[in-house]
Amino acid sequence: MDCCHLLPDSVDMGLILVSGEGRILLWNRWIEERAGLAASQVTGITLAEAFGPHVDPRVALVVREALDFGWSARLSHALHPMPLPLYPPGGGRSERMKQSIDITPVASEGRYHCLLQVRDVTETVRREALLKQQSRQLRLDLQRLSRAQVELQRSEMRFRELARQAPAGLFEADAQACCTFLNERCEQILGHDLEHVAGTPWINLLPVGEQARVRAIWCLAAESATRFAEEFRYTRPDGESRWMRAEAGPQRDEHGRISGFIGTMLDVTEFHERAIRNEFRANHDGLTSLLNRDRFERHLRAAISGAREVADRLALLFIDLDDFKGINDNHGHHAGDTVLKTIAGRVRRVLRSEDMVARYGGDEFAVLLTGTGDSDTLDAIIFKIHQAVGLPINLGHCHVRIGCSIGVSVYPDHGSDPLSLLTHADKAMYTAKRSRTGHSTTPA
Amino acid sequence: MRTFSELEMDALTEAFNLSLGEAANTFSAIVREEIELSVPTIEIVSREELTLRLESTQPGGAAERLCRINQHFDAASGFQTDALLLFPEHGSLEIVRRMLGDDTSIEHITELEQDALAEIGNIIINSCMSSLANLFGTEMSGSLPRVQSRTARTLLDDKAATDVILVARIGMTMAAHNLSGFVLFIMDVPSIEHFMDQVSRLFRLPQHGESQPS
Repeated sequence: MDCCHLLPDSVDMGLILVSGEGRILLWNRWIEERAGLAASQVTGITLAEAFGPHVDPRVALVVREALDFGWSARLSHALHPMPLPLYPPGGGRSERMKQSIDITPVASEGRYHCLLQVRDVTETVRREALLKQQSRQLRLDLQRLSRAQVELQRSEMRFRELARQAPAGLFEADAQACCTFLNERCEQILGHDLEHVAGTPWINLLPVGEQARVRAIWCLAAESATRFAEEFRYTRPDGESRWMRAEAGPQRDEHGRISGFIGTMLDVTEFHERAIRNEFRANHDGLTSLLNRDRFERHLRAAISGAREVADRLALLFIDLDDFKGINDNHGHHAGDTVLKTIAGRVRRVLRSEDMVARYGGDEFAVLLTGTGDSDTLDAIIFKIHQAVGLPINLGHCHVRIGCSIGVSVYPDHGSDPLSLLTHADKAMYTAKRSRTGHSTTPA
Repeated sequence: MRTFSELEMDALTEAFNLSLGEAANTFSAIVREEIELSVPTIEIVSREELTLRLESTQPGGAAERLCRINQHFDAASGFQTDALLLFPEHGSLEIVRRMLGDDTSIEHITELEQDALAEIGNIIINSCMSSLANLFGTEMSGSLPRVQSRTARTLLDDKAATDVILVARIGMTMAAHNLSGFVLFIMDVPSIEHFMDQVSRLFRLPQHGESQPS
């Protein structure tokens, strides 16, 4: 091989040199392999003769321009995908090789030759097609992602708006009870905003006496992944004491572990106070605030079973005011009420706190004394009651005095059930009233 | 810098108008689509001035990249010039991709697209130069086109600051696309003198230095 061909044959591109007359001067090995024609077959003939009619007409045009005017030109793959009938070496001849051609004039002895440099861009085309495919895929993924993001934002906004409008306090806390979200209402109820409470467990905001109990319930709910629901006292920063009810359900992280709780916080102070009031009303007499008859009889029943177990003695006293009707008639019902309230207070005061006093009927009071079997002690108490009741009562415009009759029955001496004890005491009271002895343990 | 009379500038505009018409025809034939090139406006400016102008007229701001297709020409009659075709990168990419029937939105130009753009630039520039060479009756040999993508600030950094730039602004319209680009001829001072002499001769204008006929 001569030296002139060594260089063209070693480059990885096709080289064709065409003379001013359009005749092929050089045809390197790269072209030989892809055109299926040896250099010896084409040297001295024209491109049209070498390649036949299947050449992009623009090749001939730009070759002509290079030879005549000295222009250079590029035929890109995009606009001229396969201008020359070249085929992949060693492959079939079903599809032309993808090409890009540079055409440059080469000055030689006062005129131009034309050099064609042919590059195989098959690999580039494949790579770029892949790149674009990936880019399209990426764009689709991105669109999906941004749609999902928009939806997420919308649902987040929906939640925020609902939370803002909700009449209940809403909170979210981690497993350690540190709040991560409070709606406006919740901040209002607690009297703190989120920033202020975020770092510490919300249970620390409760009065010291409530903390241990509520914390234990919270920890239990967190450990057993169950619902937390509890009422507790709460002192607001302005010092106001309130009752709260918190209810929350557990939330799990992506590993299924309890990550925290989300729930509601309600100020239940009014419910709480109403419930206490209702319960008091159900058990107490509205005028004197003493136990009512119903409640007293339940106490009596319970006291009897208790006394039976420990072989204790109980005393049941029936107190009936003497001539209460006279006060009502002479001074009016208002005066009557004042008398009843005064007597109730006095009787209450002469007894021990564990003793029960009830308003049993109109002007009838009942007393249950526990552990007072000794008749001397009992007599002393009865004496004190008489004394207290008998003191003058201030009605505003005048003072009145009123006496009382007391009937006594003792468990187990006069009966071992509420009914027999009550009957005995009632009868004893009437005996006392009739005999004007003040009190009696003996029915007529 | 030499200034040019109104007559000379009109003559230049006419010369470019003829050559760009040729370019549009060649281009239309290849892409089988109607291409319209607008009548060019011609100016002669310094490198500095052009850089400032390009920066301020970029719709996407100074950060937007311009595609530059560069070919060097040597005229047998003695002058040499760099012929540059400038398009906003985004717009030129859109045109190339449309021609290739491709809707992919890769931000930067790919190798094959760059090649296609080189060919488009090559057609337009060669057409321009061939018309000019024909008009001047001279021969000009041209190099292969080279494509680069740069911001306006650095676009002309490789050209001498003393060079004079002949700017032909052209609009290119194809189907739904309007693309405005520039054809620049960057010449040293002797080259532009020579170039203008040719223009004057062609349009039978008074030669530089001669008195205007009354």
